[in-house]
Amino acid sequence: MKKISTNGLLIALAIVLSYVERFIPLNLIVPLPGVKLGLANIVTMFALFYLGTISAITITVLRCLLSAFMFGGMSSLLYSLSGALLALLIMKLLMLGYNKIFSIIGISMGGAAAHNIGQIMMAGLMMKNTAVYAYLPVLLLTGLLTGTLTATVSLNLFTILEKTGSVKYIKTGK
Amino acid sequence: MRLKLKWGDVLVTITVVVAAVLLYYNFYEENSASKTAVITQNNAILDRIRLDQLTEHYTINYSGPYPGTIEAEHGKIRFSHAQCPDQVCVETGWITRPGEIAVCLPAGVIIKIEGGDSDLDIILK
Repeated sequence: MKKISTNGLLIALAIVLSYVERFIPLNLIVPLPGVKLGLANIVTMFALFYLGTISAITITVLRCLLSAFMFGGMSSLLYSLSGALLALLIMKLLMLGYNKIFSIIGISMGGAAAHNIGQIMMAGLMMKNTAVYAYLPVLLLTGLLTGTLTATVSLNLFTILEKTGSVKYIKTGK
Repeated sequence: MRLKLKWGDVLVTITVVVAAVLLYYNFYEENSASKTAVITQNNAILDRIRLDQLTEHYTINYSGPYPGTIEAEHGKIRFSHAQCPDQVCVETGWITRPGEIAVCLPAGVIIKIEGGDSDLDIILK
């Protein structure tokens, strides 16, 4: 029961984050369309660190589905899923080297890059046109920045959570 | 949880930067005198417009689940209105250089500017 409610809470959190981040005027700092903060990755990383892979997958898939239902973006469901799932995969892989090879910043940046790559690849497939890849360089570079940002937020968040004993760090081997 | 930058982080950063640079040069095109905008929807060509030969305002509408309007003037083209939920296409604004693109993902519409010479002027379908 506790797992269901925890996962449910995180799904809701991820949905809220991905909705609310649209209202942050990123345009003032980065005047590029299509660039997102990707705050939902914080939830994904939390799941990967403390809840296990299955929870992470469940949360990711469900938050994409529900976001698409609620915010009228069924057409973008395919794109958000492909980005989020690839990001999940890459972050999981990077986590295998956590603390020895990568810090949370590297994992987050890798996740951001993978998210963009996944979305663009799906766009290229769906439109049967590789022209969309022309936007990838911009996305990759801004992804490094947003990845660092979400990593910083996550780090602070996780540190506090660990200190209060709310969560226990799980081995990355899981 | 302590933060110490590890060599893997640097590796990730460098890999991403290199990939971005390589991709950029792959799509980079010289700014040429002749500019043709190619509009495709789900890989079917809707229109080809010689932007450099355009003397007046030109608009084209596209249909589908998320219809919209594209407008072109001499040397530039953009999505002027779109009914898609995210509006990224409209926010892209005017594109002018060969190699640049504007995309509406939900509608499946891509505007791409090609440089170099083309025998075709405007094709109306």
